[in-house]
Amino acid sequence: MKTDGIYPKLIWTREASNRFESRLQTAVLNSDCTCRLKAVLKTMESLIVANIRQRPLRSLISAAGVALGVALVMLFTGLSRGMSNDLAKRSSNVQAEIMFTKKGSMGLTSSSLNLDVEYAKLLKEIEGVQEALPVALYISQGKRGFGFMQIEGVDWNAYSKLNNIQLTSGREPKEHNEVVIDATKARDDSLQVGSELELFGGKKYKVVGVYAPESRARVKMTLGAMQEIMESPSKCTYILVKCKDGVTQEIVARRIEEKLPGNKIQFTKEVFTGIEKQIPALNTFLRVLVGLGAIVSALVVMLAMYTTITERTREIGILKALGASRGFIISEIVKEALLISTIGLVSGFVISYISSIFIHSAYGLLFDFSLGWTITAALIGLLGGSVGALYPAVRAANLDPVNALAYD
Amino acid sequence: MRTILNAENLTKTYRVGKVDVHALRGVSLEVQEGDFVAIMGPSGCGKSTMLHLLGGLLTPTSGKIAIDGEELTTATDAQRTDIRRRKIGFVFQRFNLFPTLTAEGNLRLAERIQSSNGKGDNAELRRELLRMLRLEDKMHHKPLELSGGEQQRVALARAVVTKPAIVLADEPTGNLDTENSAIVLNMFQELNYRFGQTIIMITHNPEAAAMCRRIIYMRDGHIVEQTKGALA
Repeated sequence: MKTDGIYPKLIWTREASNRFESRLQTAVLNSDCTCRLKAVLKTMESLIVANIRQRPLRSLISAAGVALGVALVMLFTGLSRGMSNDLAKRSSNVQAEIMFTKKGSMGLTSSSLNLDVEYAKLLKEIEGVQEALPVALYISQGKRGFGFMQIEGVDWNAYSKLNNIQLTSGREPKEHNEVVIDATKARDDSLQVGSELELFGGKKYKVVGVYAPESRARVKMTLGAMQEIMESPSKCTYILVKCKDGVTQEIVARRIEEKLPGNKIQFTKEVFTGIEKQIPALNTFLRVLVGLGAIVSALVVMLAMYTTITERTREIGILKALGASRGFIISEIVKEALLISTIGLVSGFVISYISSIFIHSAYGLLFDFSLGWTITAALIGLLGGSVGALYPAVRAANLDPVNALAYD
Repeated sequence: MRTILNAENLTKTYRVGKVDVHALRGVSLEVQEGDFVAIMGPSGCGKSTMLHLLGGLLTPTSGKIAIDGEELTTATDAQRTDIRRRKIGFVFQRFNLFPTLTAEGNLRLAERIQSSNGKGDNAELRRELLRMLRLEDKMHHKPLELSGGEQQRVALARAVVTKPAIVLADEPTGNLDTENSAIVLNMFQELNYRFGQTIIMITHNPEAAAMCRRIIYMRDGHIVEQTKGALA
C-alpha cells in the first residue's frame, strides 16, 4: 500500500476502489454468462460515463431539466385524462338520452337554475318520451381549492330508477339539510351515513345515504333543497329525457324541437364526453404544454452541453489529434446528452407517479397515465436532450485542433 | 527501407492582422522507417508548425506531405483525420491525457477511435505496453494520481497502442524533471531500437536530441543543418 505522509488513508481508498472496480470488471468481462452486464460495464468505462461522473452536479441539473419537462407532460396529461375519464365514467351511468336546457345555457359548466320545472310535464306529454327529470346543478371549488365539485338537486327516487343506481347504505334525502353521496366520495373522504359535510360556504349537511354506481355529481340532495339554497323556486338547470324503448333519440329530439321550439336539445353522449371537450382548447393547451416541455428539456441540455464543451475544448483537441472523426465527436457528445436525458426521463416518471399519489390524497384530483402520453413524454425527453446537444456537438466537431489543444 | 514520411518544400504563412507571418519557408524532409529524428531550434523557428503540418493538424500554404505513401496535402479534412487515426501517434508536452479515464482507459479510447466502429479492444496489447513502460501497477490510476513521468509514459503508450507508422512528439520532456526526462527518453529509444517505431521528436534539450539517430536544426522557418545522433 503506497502512502504519502499526509493522506495515507485517502490514497489507500482511491487505489483500493480503483482496483476493486477493475477486478470486478475483469471478472465480469471474462465471464460467459453475463453478456448484458459485460456490455454495461464496458459502457461504464467509457468516456461518456466518466464525464458524467466527473461533473455530478451539472449532470444532475441537466437531468433535472429533462425530468421537469417529462413530469410537466405526464402530470398535466394524466390529470386531464384522469378527470376526464372519471367524468365519463360517471356520465356513462346516465341512462337518459337527451338533455333539455334553455337556449344559450352554459349547461354543465354553469350553476344557474334558469329552466322552469314545468317543462318536465310538457316533455312527458311528447310521444316517445318515457321520463323527463329536472336536475338542478351547482358547481363549486373542489377540495382545498383544487378542481371542482358538483352537487345535484334531484328527485332521488325518480333519478335512481332512471339511472339504475341504488343506495348501498342509508336512505334517500328527505330534508333540505340531507344529502346522499356516491361510494367513491365516501371512500376518498372517509365519509359514511351520519357524517357531516360542509357545502355552500360552510352550511352543514348530513349524509343520510351512500349509493353506487357513480352517476354524475358525487353529492345529491333533493331538488327542493337546491332550489331553496339557490333561491330559485320551481327552477332547474336542465331536464334529463329518457326515450321509450324502440324510439330513437333523434326522432324524440325532433319532436321536442317541434313542440318546444327555441330551447337547447343535446344528446347526453355528446354532452357528457369529457373535460377535453367541455373546456375549449384544452387539447391545444396540452399540446402547447408538451411543446414547452420539449423546449425546456432541449434548452437545459443545450446549455449544459455547451458549457461542458467549452470546458473540454482541449479534450476535443486531443480527440481530433487522436484521429477522431467529426461523426465520432458528435456521437460521443450526443450519447452523453442521451444518457443524461434517460436519467432525467426515468426521474421524471418517478416524480410524476409519486406526485400524483400525493396530489390525489391531498386534493382528490384523479390521474390516469396513458401509454401514449408516456411514450410521448419519453420521446420529448430523449429528443429534447439529443437535439439540445446537437448544436454544441457540431460546434465541438468543427473546432480547430491546434487551437483546441492550446486552450487552457 | 520504406519512406514513412516525405515532406517537400513546405511553407506555412499565417495572417496576423495585416501582417503575414512566414512560419515555414520551404522545408523538405524525408524520414525512413525506423528512424528517430530530433528537430531542434530556437523558439519561433517553426518546429511546432512543422510538427502540426506533418501530423495533418494544419494544412500547408504550399508543398506536399505524404505519410506512408498517403498524400496529406490534397486530402479533405475527413481524409486527413483518417490518415492521422491510422498512421500517426502524438505525444504532447502537456501529456494531454483524459483526466476522467484511467491509464488503461486512455489507451482503450485510442483503440476505439482507431477502429472507428467503437469495437477495438486489444486488452493483451494494452497490458503488454503498460508493462513494458513499467506502468502495470498504474493501469487503473487516473492521470491526477500519476507523476509527470508516469503520465508521459501513458501518453507514449497511447500513441503507440494503435501501431502507427510514425510517432510525432512535441517536447515530450518539456514538463519533466531530469530523472523523469531520462526515463521517458529511454522509453522512446527502446521503442525505436527494439520495435523499429519511427519517431520525430521536437526538443530544446540537446541531451535528448543526442539520443536520436538524426538531428535536424531549424531557424527562421528553414532547416539549416542535419547531423547524426548517438543512435546512428
